[in-house]
Amino acid sequence: MAGKSSSTPATYAPSVSGQKKRRPLIQADSDWVRPDGRSFHQCRPAFLRTGAVNSASGSAYAEFGNTKVIVSVFGPRESKKAMMYSDTGRLNCNVTYTTFATPLRGQPPETKDLSSMLHKALEGAIILKSFPKTTVDVFALVLESGGSDLPVITTCASLALADAGIMLYDMVASVSVSCLGKNLLIDPVSEEESYQDGSLVITCMPSRNEVTQMTVTGEWSTPKIHEAMQLCLDACSKLGKIMRSCLKDAASVPQD
Amino acid sequence: MKTAKELWQSLDKKYLTIFTSVRIADKLDEKFFEEQNYIKGGIAQDLRTDGRKRISYRPIFVETGVIPQASGSARVKLGGTDVIASVKAELGRPAPSHPDQGKVSINVDCSPIAEPTFEGKGGEELSTELSSALQRCLLGGKSGAGAGIDLSSLSIVQGKHCWDLYIEGLVVSSDGNLLDALGAAFKAALANTAIPKAQVAASALPDDEPEIDVSDEEFLQFDTTSVPVIITLTKVGRHYIVDATTEEESQMSSAISISINRQGRICGLTKRGGAGLDPSIILDMISVAKHVSEQLINKLDSEIAAAEACDDEDDEMDS
Repeated sequence: MAGKSSSTPATYAPSVSGQKKRRPLIQADSDWVRPDGRSFHQCRPAFLRTGAVNSASGSAYAEFGNTKVIVSVFGPRESKKAMMYSDTGRLNCNVTYTTFATPLRGQPPETKDLSSMLHKALEGAIILKSFPKTTVDVFALVLESGGSDLPVITTCASLALADAGIMLYDMVASVSVSCLGKNLLIDPVSEEESYQDGSLVITCMPSRNEVTQMTVTGEWSTPKIHEAMQLCLDACSKLGKIMRSCLKDAASVPQD
Repeated sequence: MKTAKELWQSLDKKYLTIFTSVRIADKLDEKFFEEQNYIKGGIAQDLRTDGRKRISYRPIFVETGVIPQASGSARVKLGGTDVIASVKAELGRPAPSHPDQGKVSINVDCSPIAEPTFEGKGGEELSTELSSALQRCLLGGKSGAGAGIDLSSLSIVQGKHCWDLYIEGLVVSSDGNLLDALGAAFKAALANTAIPKAQVAASALPDDEPEIDVSDEEFLQFDTTSVPVIITLTKVGRHYIVDATTEEESQMSSAISISINRQGRICGLTKRGGAGLDPSIILDMISVAKHVSEQLINKLDSEIAAAEACDDEDDEMDS
């Protein structure tokens, strides 16, 4: 009857606005079925390759389900600006999203400070004293954002640093856990992240059993945090092993 | 063979000059070895440089209603750290993905009057870090669970009109522990916030935008009992301290900022600092923070109530 006139959209965007967000009611006991059929405590299969970019000192490409990230490491090289002398090296991180990474073109990522979070995650693992007066640049580009972006970026960046030959105390692996009602889902996809009640992201060095970064959002009780941390740390140690085997494969190929 | 005592007594003291030198670093963040040991040693023995115990806060001073043009404001002084928070409410449109909720935007500005290094881009990194930590603590998860502020109370007409809250923090003077002070200031400012009642006038044609009549008289107060407080635990050596001053922060290896609400549930956690931490230490820090949070929440609530009461008295005296 008195029909509402809808304005024609300027660009075509699949799904979005109209549908969405009446989050499916999660009853107390009923389980959320994960869109890709994983169980709650199962991570996405990881595809990791080093040597993605020829012109960089080191680089890596990581693909976790729909999240695709490529990281280049340049350095150690002379600091660009005339910076003060420093007897430890400097780390410079930069994270950017391509315009086609998100369903809506040019949609900025929710957390603006991904670059500084990546910096904090990595600085505890790099032996900065081994390259005084110089800077190591880490550039991350997210090709497709499919959920759990920062953990994938951190994992890929540490692989790229190892590929560049920068001295590290240990590999850095990162995993995130999402809380939906009573369930803890590891390695969430973007749909699960949009419905989450809370998230916990841990970045750790598996062999040294040290956490370099931890971020918790949402309301948690202490036993839940214990459980989530345990899940993440187990997943990180498995991820650490996968990263090492990837590096070994890359190192053994040229000898053939 | 003379003893040392005899030698000392035989000296002609007139010509004896004793040179002493006290080395104090010029800049606040450069510390000589002796100073570092002094700070670390004190902390290890539960006696900090200003006489506090490891888990005691500096005296907190809260003043509300400091900015007349804002919907709510507060100033919090935590020892030498001085921060101001202001809340402004403006009419806006809700986001398409959440038509029944208002919007909250949190921003922190580190003013160069606190530190000369904050001028221009210098303070930007710190501001972003503080803003995102506060956002994490106050706004909870994506679905809105665990949020300190109830966003659905900000909605006026579903899908069309809502209140946009702009919460701004300003660092006036910095002596360590900015995050805790800002958290307290935001809580106080929200307690002081009065959002005007908005009446929606029904318009003749259903397609027209409904008219919003913003009342000057009636106000809605926020219920801030569910707003969490932030506790920063700084690890120096093998011990953790609460409410670190700038010189103590210069010695830290890492710090964890935990946001805890009145029910004792954790609403946010950020680890800062570069050094790695053992997971068991993190869990221990969480339990220490919970223990400290009970006292802090009670103290803060009573200070805010006192400040509000003072404010009301002033208003009555003026009118």
